[in-house]
Amino acid sequence: METTALKTEHISPDETLEVCARQIIVNYFHQMMSYKEGAKVGSDIEFVHQMRVTSRRLRAAMDNFVDCFPEKAFNKHYKTVKSITRTLGAVRDLDVLITRFEKELATLPESEQADIRGLIEHLQQEREEARKPMLRLFAKLEETGFERKFLTFFQAL
Amino acid sequence: MAKAHKISGVKPLCSYRENARIILPQKVEEVYTWEPFIRDAARREELHNMRISIKRLRYTMELFRVAYGSPKRDSREVTVGDDKRFVEFLGVIVDLQEILGDIHDADVVLEVLTDYMRQSERGTAAPGIAPLIAQMKEARDGDYEKFLETWEQLSAADFKRKLLSFLLAEPIQS
Repeated sequence: METTALKTEHISPDETLEVCARQIIVNYFHQMMSYKEGAKVGSDIEFVHQMRVTSRRLRAAMDNFVDCFPEKAFNKHYKTVKSITRTLGAVRDLDVLITRFEKELATLPESEQADIRGLIEHLQQEREEARKPMLRLFAKLEETGFERKFLTFFQAL
Repeated sequence: MAKAHKISGVKPLCSYRENARIILPQKVEEVYTWEPFIRDAARREELHNMRISIKRLRYTMELFRVAYGSPKRDSREVTVGDDKRFVEFLGVIVDLQEILGDIHDADVVLEVLTDYMRQSERGTAAPGIAPLIAQMKEARDGDYEKFLETWEQLSAADFKRKLLSFLLAEPIQS
């Protein structure tokens, strides 16, 4: 899996911003949601990472294009994307730390490993706790039809 | 984390190309609002905020890459020379983001290690944690020095003016 910027070759720079903004937001949204199932499973940390990065790119695009859309509905969708970034961030930060300390562990003599092992176990427990709000948010998004509503709003002309 | 600055003057019914020249300079200015704080290594929050602003600039540059270069009539192609310059500017932004990312990572690791030592009441005698803290502090100092050196070199080379000048330049019809 690779973190890449959205391909924008299909965007015509002579097209209006409004039209391009819709295309970009919708494309980023699809990309972000494509990682959701993997993030739910949780065995491969890359899914959470990619979903978080794409949610940040989506938000950066939304920040730039806010004036292209009716404010109230736009803000509602923006807040939800922000919640997605936040809950993923809590898990990702712990994944990064666990990976880092696991690497450190391999470089330490046996006598110095116990403290780091204890720390890794502690962080793994925190990670399990951090996954709960993320999973609750995903369940809520599914129950409320967030995906359909988001796409209906941003695809409408 | 500081919020993104509100972008003003956007024209939804004007071209993507024109709006790139309205939006991107404002993203550059957002980055430079943090400059007064960066010469103090202890300003963790401001260094972090600069990293986030740089990341926003990077993502926005990537979005608008297609809007730079001389447009050929009836074509979406851009000239190779302008795209090369765009990529060079973007490369500098990515490098800055990465160095600041290393500093932030070290700050987070230091905080976790220090909290863990305090919580478990292991004190300074913890054989595994204390050396890691020392090592991490050293790495953080090195990363910060590297960042500041890079920043000062860019300032001496008038990077901001050159970047703004490039981002604001009107495309030439070929």
